[in-house]
Amino acid sequence: MAESTIADADAAGTPPVARSSISQAPPVAVVDGWEVSQRTSDAVLTLSDESALAKVVVHGPEAGAFAGAMGVAFGRATRRDDGVLVVGSSPGEWLLIGAPGTGAALEAAVAAGVDPAGDPAGDFVTMVDITHGRALIRLTGAAAPSLMAKICAVDLDDRVTPNATALRTSVAKLVTDVVRDDRPDGTRSYLLHCDRSSGQVLFDAVLDAGIEHGIDIAGFTAR
Amino acid sequence: MILVSCPWCGPRNSSEFRYVGESKGRPDPNAATPEEWRRYLYVKSNPADWATETWYHRAGCRRFFAVERHTVTNEIRETRRPAAQLRLEGGGS
Repeated sequence: MAESTIADADAAGTPPVARSSISQAPPVAVVDGWEVSQRTSDAVLTLSDESALAKVVVHGPEAGAFAGAMGVAFGRATRRDDGVLVVGSSPGEWLLIGAPGTGAALEAAVAAGVDPAGDPAGDFVTMVDITHGRALIRLTGAAAPSLMAKICAVDLDDRVTPNATALRTSVAKLVTDVVRDDRPDGTRSYLLHCDRSSGQVLFDAVLDAGIEHGIDIAGFTAR
Repeated sequence: MILVSCPWCGPRNSSEFRYVGESKGRPDPNAATPEEWRRYLYVKSNPADWATETWYHRAGCRRFFAVERHTVTNEIRETRRPAAQLRLEGGGS
């Protein structure tokens, strides 16, 4: 159900079978079995829960043919033509973020590119669908760097962390993967993801830090 | 805030790291005497000087690496990956 939309899901009456670790702001709809918020906001700084997006973590050799095939180096992220965001989140570790319900397809695509005989050096590739194990939120707005400066020690200036930068660091004292993924219109945007059990804490911490910037909760953007 | 430059991730707040301990050669467990093994496990040199230590980037790349830190001033003059550490120390760890 990769191309499902909120309206389609509603029409199909898909029952919710999965819930984010983050409370959904009403109104709530169902996308691929996930309860997601449909709230709209015209605030200049918005925070949305994107946990329903498929998330697959891949571990493999940090150099060589496989790393080259992944198409992105450690510390960088790139959005493929099919809309999948490939993140080089750690040396020899990648995260694929795709549309809801595409986790199995993402795994199959990576597996198709792996030599079944294994790597001559003895390295192996492992994949795990962590969609249900991680919380993913998106912070969007020109004031996002100012907000992040209050809860994250990394310099988020353009010269240090330009668009498509990926890093794992401490955000609100939680180990968090930060991916700068600006909107197509150039608006500053960050994807933040952490362990599911810490999702609500991270969400609330970002909201608290954004009060002075007029932050508001927005609905699921499916991207 | 103490800045520690991770060989993979770059400069980060020291709160992202875990101090593992002094770097020292691991004796051969098949040949070491109990006394040598006890000294390896529990006895630290703890100099008031430059020390080579192992740190772990727990909130980042989750890698171990070597740090040369002055234990009095907390100045860090070098961080390096374990492989480089092995080469510099002639195969020891």
